[in-house]
Amino acid sequence: MSFVDIAHLTKRFGDHTAVGNVSFQVPQGSTLALLGPSGCGKTTILRCLAGLETPDGGIIEIGGNRVFDKVRGVDLMPEKRELGIVFQSYAVWPHMTVAENVAFPLKVRGVGAAERLAKASKMLETVGLKGFESRSATLVSGGQQQRIALARALVHEPRLVLFDEALSNLDAQLREQMRLELRLLQERLGFTAIYVTHDQAEAFGLADTVVLMNQGRIETAGPAREVFARPSSAFAARFFGMNVLEGRSAGAVEGTDRVVVTLGGRFGIEGVAGQGLDPTAGTPVLACIRKESVRVSRDAEKGSVPGTIAAMSFLGVAEEYIVDIDGVSLRAMQPAAGFRRGDAVHVAMAAADWIVLP
Amino acid sequence: METSQKGRWLQVGLPAAGVTAGVLLIAGPFVATVVRSILVDGGVSAGNFIGLVTDPRFAAAAVNTLIAGYCTTVLAMALGFTLAWLVARTDMPGRSWFETGNLVPFFLSPYVGAISWIYLLAPHGGLLPWAARTWFGYSMDWLNIYSIPGVIWVLTLFYTPYVYLFVIGPLRQMDAAFEDAARVHGASFWYTLRHITVPLVLPALLSAALIVFVTSAGLFDVPLALGSPRGIKFMPTEIFSLVQYPSDFGRASAFGVLVLTVTILLTLIQRQFIANRRFDTVTGKGYRPRTIHLRTGTRIAALTLETVYIGGAVVLPTMVLMMVAFSKLWLGHFMWRTATFDNFVYVLTKYDLTRSAILNSLFLALTGATLAVALSVLQSYYLTRGNPRRRALVDALLSLPLGIPGIILGLGFLILAIRTPLYSTLSIILIAYIARFFPFATRTVTAMFLAINPELEQSARSSGASWFQTMRLIVLPLLRPALVAAWLMLFVIFIRELGATMLLYAQGTETISVAMVILSERSSGYVAALAMIQLLLLLSAFAIFRLTRTSISQS
Repeated sequence: MSFVDIAHLTKRFGDHTAVGNVSFQVPQGSTLALLGPSGCGKTTILRCLAGLETPDGGIIEIGGNRVFDKVRGVDLMPEKRELGIVFQSYAVWPHMTVAENVAFPLKVRGVGAAERLAKASKMLETVGLKGFESRSATLVSGGQQQRIALARALVHEPRLVLFDEALSNLDAQLREQMRLELRLLQERLGFTAIYVTHDQAEAFGLADTVVLMNQGRIETAGPAREVFARPSSAFAARFFGMNVLEGRSAGAVEGTDRVVVTLGGRFGIEGVAGQGLDPTAGTPVLACIRKESVRVSRDAEKGSVPGTIAAMSFLGVAEEYIVDIDGVSLRAMQPAAGFRRGDAVHVAMAAADWIVLP
Repeated sequence: METSQKGRWLQVGLPAAGVTAGVLLIAGPFVATVVRSILVDGGVSAGNFIGLVTDPRFAAAAVNTLIAGYCTTVLAMALGFTLAWLVARTDMPGRSWFETGNLVPFFLSPYVGAISWIYLLAPHGGLLPWAARTWFGYSMDWLNIYSIPGVIWVLTLFYTPYVYLFVIGPLRQMDAAFEDAARVHGASFWYTLRHITVPLVLPALLSAALIVFVTSAGLFDVPLALGSPRGIKFMPTEIFSLVQYPSDFGRASAFGVLVLTVTILLTLIQRQFIANRRFDTVTGKGYRPRTIHLRTGTRIAALTLETVYIGGAVVLPTMVLMMVAFSKLWLGHFMWRTATFDNFVYVLTKYDLTRSAILNSLFLALTGATLAVALSVLQSYYLTRGNPRRRALVDALLSLPLGIPGIILGLGFLILAIRTPLYSTLSIILIAYIARFFPFATRTVTAMFLAINPELEQSARSSGASWFQTMRLIVLPLLRPALVAAWLMLFVIFIRELGATMLLYAQGTETISVAMVILSERSSGYVAALAMIQLLLLLSAFAIFRLTRTSISQS
């Protein structure tokens, strides 16, 4: 049963279509991530959901309650939508104490002062800020402000909580920690969550379902693992940091879902045919492979091809290489092996890791 | 659904109402003046304009006003820039004191300043000529305060803080690397100042120059005190006398329309000019510019300049006002044996005119400042949170009155109100005050609004607060420093306002400034006592302003 139902949502800013005819559902208690580069319309969808932006068309339902319907002229004010939101800027009010910030949703709902404070304290404890009640909200660190914003978004027990790039301003370590804590919190409190993020690690780490957006449209959507493992378009493949190489089909392999692709010179590969691929020999196609699936070694092995290291960069744990194979540049990432520019190497790739897209 | 639609109406309607009120307040007198200027005996004609420009008095008034405005602008720019530079960039002793001291004249009344300088420098019976004659045997008779240079002198004292305020921020925030680079590459100190420092603050300097020119040329107070007694004509006093019996509203309006045209043209040129020049002098690195060490000679010169300025604008006027206010009869110098409190007792308790004038001024300032600030909040909301496509136009419209002389706005409201029950009430004065000065509040509040992240309001809405609750619990508390500053600024302006009030007051609705003008021909003691009372009101507003400013910057 879906808790959030968005149908044919459209939002224009002047001539620019920020969101074009977008539909998706979020099941109750589950987590969805809206992922995409900046300007793809993901934040606009979130703001339309919260009632902070008025869509130009479509229907939005939250918990079976129609909060927006262009045709019927329904448009609930933000405060009537009963949700919680955490902004990238945290939006912690600087003129209030930590407890006043967290208790605010209860205050505007007419909850008495004593109950308000008790609930706020309990929520602060939940997010790990016990004893911070009377501190000035501006005198705490960024990570703590993030927790205040989270406590404030949860204190009135909304059934839907929206996160707008909520973890982006934290440093990497803190972000990791918050991500795990958020998952635990969500399991405990059982709210439905929608995250907007440009960071794929955040999206896959938090969400059951990932919706990848591109230029106001849904590029691909589905269970997180599936979206990640089987990108359905070149945009998705590039967004997830894969190698995307132009080539020509040399025909399907009889009796399998595989295709042979010529990439340039004598370099060719065999890969899994993606959705909607025309395997007729001679058709231009795109061959995609994850950097981590390209293995570079000094010695030849079965099925490997010879190449030359064109560039390398040391990343600490790993090293990234650009390998030249017969005029085709391929990026590879693997534990540090100490290759230098100009080294002759052998590159091995499994056919199962190649995805061939139209 | 019902309540939700009502809430939406409030959210959209209230700010729009604030903007509409602002536009009407400006358009009303504006249209009235234009229409009245082309009406002659019930028909439409250019007669008023032709009559006006062929009148030799017009030529004299226009030339004198332009000369006074131009000279004041040049002198105030030189003085304001120098003082700001000394405070912001050098190690002049007592900088923190002068930083505040240089601003005090901004809060004082130019009319009181002008009459103080009459007491100081009147050809017969001035304090300074008396002191020079008695103590040094020197005759200062060649100095005459009732003259165009006299007007320029007093105007410069009062308009220098405008330039000072405009340039001190950029001077302070300017990245010293710009200047250091010039010095390292071989430029002398003066060359750097002229070719690097001044050009970098030029946008601020030019904004200040325009404001000083249009407001000083349009100021009624100083020409009234220093020009009219000797028949020297200026634009504002000429418009005033055209409205006095036997009045010629048509010609006054024609004069007003000409001034409005020039003012608006200058504003447009300045906007264009500023728009084409955007310098990033602020690097945002929180870099503290190197202070420049003054050598003994320059240090003495700097301190002398500060002494002359603060002495001339604040200390000497206040001193002479006290002397006159506490004298039974002012004969050009203070005598202990004639010292008395009688003037204060009389204006505060015995004289109906002054008593009601003080109450009227307080009522106008308290109510006017409150209403104008309320209006400015709604307008700022519209300008920062409203429809982005209409903002620029609304912003330009709402800032029009910034340069319109008070006397001309007063004329517009006089034409509008003259045959209505509003005429000769305090309400019409109140409306004119708000119309003329609300843009100051809107500017201040808008600047603060821009610094507030909209997500602070949006998260309140998503937390369940209505628009009204969000305004009350989030926006207004966050805006408080700007609201306090704007309120105090308007309080000060309204307590001392003269130009618009002179045209709109009637018996019973006189203000402190008007009462001083009325009494100026009867008793200098009463005038000085009233001026002291006004001065106390202004200085207490200034004190609160400084105190709240420090508490804000500390927190």
